[in-house]
Amino acid sequence: MATLISDTPDTTAPASPVPGKSRRQRQGKFIWLAYVVLISLAMVYIFPFLINLATSFKTEPDAASDPLSLFPATWSTLAYEKLFLNSDFPLWFGNSVVVTVLVTCGRVFFDLLAGYALARVPFRGRSVIFAGVVAVMAVPGVVLLIPKFLVINQLGLYDSYAGMIIPLMADAAGVFIMKNFFESIPASVEEQARIDGAGTFRTFWSVVLPMCMPAVMTIVILSFQGSWNELSHFIVAAQSPELTTLTKGVAQLSSGQLSAGTQYPLKLAAAAIMTVPVAIVFFIFQKKIMNSTAGALKE
Amino acid sequence: MNTLTRSTHSSGTRGSGTRGNHNATGWLFTAPVLIILGLFLVLPVIMAAWVSISDWTGRGSPFAAGTQFVGAKNFEAVISGGGLAERDFGTALRNNLYYVVLVVPLQTIASLFLAVLVNSRVLKGKGFFRTAFYFPSVTSSVAITVLWLFLFSATGAVNKFLSLLGITGPNWFQEPAGIMHLLAQSVGIDSPPPAMESGTFLGVSWWDWLSGPSVAMSAFILMAIFTTSGTFMLLFIAALQNLQGELEEAAMLDGAGVWQRFWYVTLPMLRPTLFTVITLGLIGSWQVFDQIYTGTEGGPAKTTVTPAYLSFSTAFNNQQWGQGAAIAFLLFAIIIVFTVIQRVLLRESDSVPRRKRMNPKPSRGRSLWPR
Amino acid sequence: MKTPRASRLAAVITICVSGALGLSACGSGFASPSANESSDAGSGPISVLIASSGDAEATAVKAAVADWSKTSGTEASVNVASDLIQQLSQGFASGKPADVFYLSPDQLSGYASNGSLEPYADSLANKGDFQPSLTRAFTFDGKFYCAPKDSSTLSLVINNDLWQAAGLTDADIPATWDELEATAKKLTSGNTVGLSFSPEVARVAAFFPQAGGSLLSSDGKTATVNSTENVKALTFVKKMLTDGSAKFSSDLGAGWGGEAFGKQLSAMTIEGNWISGALSKDFPSIKYRTVELPAGPKGKGTLQFTNCWGIAADSKNKPAAKALVEQLTGTQTQMTFAKAFGVMPSVISAESEFRKEFPEQEASIAGVEYAQTLPSQPGAADVLKDFNAKLATLQTSDPKAILDAIQAEMTATLSK
Repeated sequence: MATLISDTPDTTAPASPVPGKSRRQRQGKFIWLAYVVLISLAMVYIFPFLINLATSFKTEPDAASDPLSLFPATWSTLAYEKLFLNSDFPLWFGNSVVVTVLVTCGRVFFDLLAGYALARVPFRGRSVIFAGVVAVMAVPGVVLLIPKFLVINQLGLYDSYAGMIIPLMADAAGVFIMKNFFESIPASVEEQARIDGAGTFRTFWSVVLPMCMPAVMTIVILSFQGSWNELSHFIVAAQSPELTTLTKGVAQLSSGQLSAGTQYPLKLAAAAIMTVPVAIVFFIFQKKIMNSTAGALKE
Repeated sequence: MNTLTRSTHSSGTRGSGTRGNHNATGWLFTAPVLIILGLFLVLPVIMAAWVSISDWTGRGSPFAAGTQFVGAKNFEAVISGGGLAERDFGTALRNNLYYVVLVVPLQTIASLFLAVLVNSRVLKGKGFFRTAFYFPSVTSSVAITVLWLFLFSATGAVNKFLSLLGITGPNWFQEPAGIMHLLAQSVGIDSPPPAMESGTFLGVSWWDWLSGPSVAMSAFILMAIFTTSGTFMLLFIAALQNLQGELEEAAMLDGAGVWQRFWYVTLPMLRPTLFTVITLGLIGSWQVFDQIYTGTEGGPAKTTVTPAYLSFSTAFNNQQWGQGAAIAFLLFAIIIVFTVIQRVLLRESDSVPRRKRMNPKPSRGRSLWPR
Repeated sequence: MKTPRASRLAAVITICVSGALGLSACGSGFASPSANESSDAGSGPISVLIASSGDAEATAVKAAVADWSKTSGTEASVNVASDLIQQLSQGFASGKPADVFYLSPDQLSGYASNGSLEPYADSLANKGDFQPSLTRAFTFDGKFYCAPKDSSTLSLVINNDLWQAAGLTDADIPATWDELEATAKKLTSGNTVGLSFSPEVARVAAFFPQAGGSLLSSDGKTATVNSTENVKALTFVKKMLTDGSAKFSSDLGAGWGGEAFGKQLSAMTIEGNWISGALSKDFPSIKYRTVELPAGPKGKGTLQFTNCWGIAADSKNKPAAKALVEQLTGTQTQMTFAKAFGVMPSVISAESEFRKEFPEQEASIAGVEYAQTLPSQPGAADVLKDFNAKLATLQTSDPKAILDAIQAEMTATLSK
């Protein structure tokens, strides 16, 4: 398989010195093989999600007896009915939306400000702050489970939206990305604005900000995914059922209760629904990002 | 860096008044991030440090009068106590060690393999394949774990598939037997040699240290490879595209077979990316928590307990907050040690002359995305 | 070119600003730290936290609490915990626990010794009405901490249809270990095993008293986990598992014995009273009967389980919480709970009525006479958890080795 990257395109490929077996023929065979391998691998990666979707429409006996089939023997929307009409699922969904939107906004705004300052504003202490941000990036999140609970509790934010949202509103990696981005675009535009008499904030607002939409989109996507999929922070930041998010709710549904049984269609329906928003964002923004990156490369 | 000098220069032309202005602006702009990171990342570490050397029992504030300083007692209980706490920590370390040792190389190889395949210039439908391989990475660990529990259940899709091949699959998430033990069994070694039974480290006998990952943990290992290979594939693709020119040059070399070209030309050039992927893999695979919380809660027979999950359950379920914090710090130390080792190796690799034709390095954020 | 960008940006900023405003509004509502007054003459709403075995239990408790709320005029709400222990721990640590909650005996010592629990039960009006074994289970350091809310014992649950299909009659109901093994073998066919139960000490330990053993000495101060009686019992369990007539529910792909039984993966199971509620909800078509567990070489034996209504020391309204518990443990309410989800009342005054109302629960009631409870000393819960972990590999391990290991742990825990 390793051949493929280093093989030159057909038009420039020199004819093989070996008589009777041209390079083109060999390549054709390799390509064919590559497609077979790629398609079977893609099946391995996609099939589980198809099973997920199919099983969520199955009845429980059907799910147990024929787990591989992609077409339910009898279509049943029971799992979805139970989720939406007879459980806290809509509440969890709502909480996840609220938290994700606010966290994403906060991150975009704060990371932008800090990234800009670190890249463009020559202020005293800048290098110290940047070193600090890099150091913080190295702290593994899971280690902070207990301590975060202690601090959130000490600050009186425990079991509130504030406690769930504010700690996630800034991330070191995002600052890092923004700083790098600002350093990659020329400062001449801003200089022009400044010469025209605009202050730092005004320059930032009306000149810099519109230029950095691609990076903003990157932060939006990363923080959307990050906070939508976040679990451990919500476990330690809140306990009320009214504050349960999708990840926490589904995780606890999955670890199960006495009479709950396996209930695979129900759990898989929940998993399917919680995947939909990230999937949509992924498919929409993937193109945008690709376009903007391509555009940036052409310049 | 050149932007820095440029903007410093521009501010210089505008007189000395802007210097103070800049200081104010800089601090104002970075203040929100500093406050949040300080409050919720730095302060917690300090507080946890206190809890790990105190006898706080989980009621009220740890700074209240009743909480006593107990020195290294919590750490001792976990690494040399001789009791259940030590054995649990030893078991968690063993479980996670096998996870790391298997996940990191396998996910690196898988992602490199996918990247090389997908990056092929003559391939059609690259976008589709890239998306297919990357998609598992964007879904939440909770959703994937739920799916995995179904796929690997006794009557699940995996066992159904195996039965089509005439193999009776195990009851994955309920099977505590270690893979190495199963292998030993298949060659007729049913019980451990007495020497390996009696000797222990961290409360776990040598025989049990050598058990390999349990069947249940193996299912998590497969899941980790499934979910992370896409992300790392993108890192490799970005690197391969940066190296395109050099690779084409190398392709002109006569006489070298494709495999040789990959091994002697492509792979060495990918070394920096390889190191990045391995580091991220190491750090990530020591932090297994979500999957365990959602899936097995440490079972069967504690073979999927990880230090991260143990730290959580020791504190939140058993009210041993000091011990829980101590485990968290030990885990932190482990990750730091691995990162430092990696840094040292990375520095060595940087000294290798490789950037004779420097391509502009894409920003971190963008390099995560396919072009 | 610039206009769409600018408007998109404006949209982003609008969302953010409105979000931030909303957030700060939320924040101010929660941010005021609660003053930790422990004055007894409190007021304010009561929150109740329960772990429910299913919809039936949750509904019944909610109705009972709402009833009390109406007559007493104190607001009260019921929350169903998804992870009770973790939520209790976080509640106690945050100083904002639920006022009234379910509490199992093995959690009692931990929370009692760090002062999280209010030891109120000694002053209850109906204190003397509770069954003595239950009162003992919730006494720590000489204080009766909390009122037992109900009780359950393990019995043998039999699927009537599979029983008949195997050609068995009433006369075949197993009374001894040998008979249990024989009937289980007869009931094993195809996808169905004769007997199944969860791989945990809370089921397996029921065999210990049948062999004359127990986990602790009668004064609760010495571990007797690896006694010859217990080894004999565990060896018997292992034998049934290895010859295929019995299987752990997890090995059948079920979450617990009741699920394996309901799905007809097993013809018999060992479960407590709660199985009736679960079966009628999830598997209403299953016809079954419950009988006493068969006697071992040393007679009958089973395990008793119970929970109590804990009250938090940090509760703002302890008098009201106590009043609520008095009503919830009253004869009347307990009979309502018994009807709703199958548990036995914890008070002696309800016993005769319960017998009359539920003749089919005779086995569970009989079990109360000779039941043992699992150890609830500080740290014992961890040891039992480790016991569960070791039981998962019972089929391939030496029963004596397992019990030796647990004996060492239990001894270490008791001597702390």
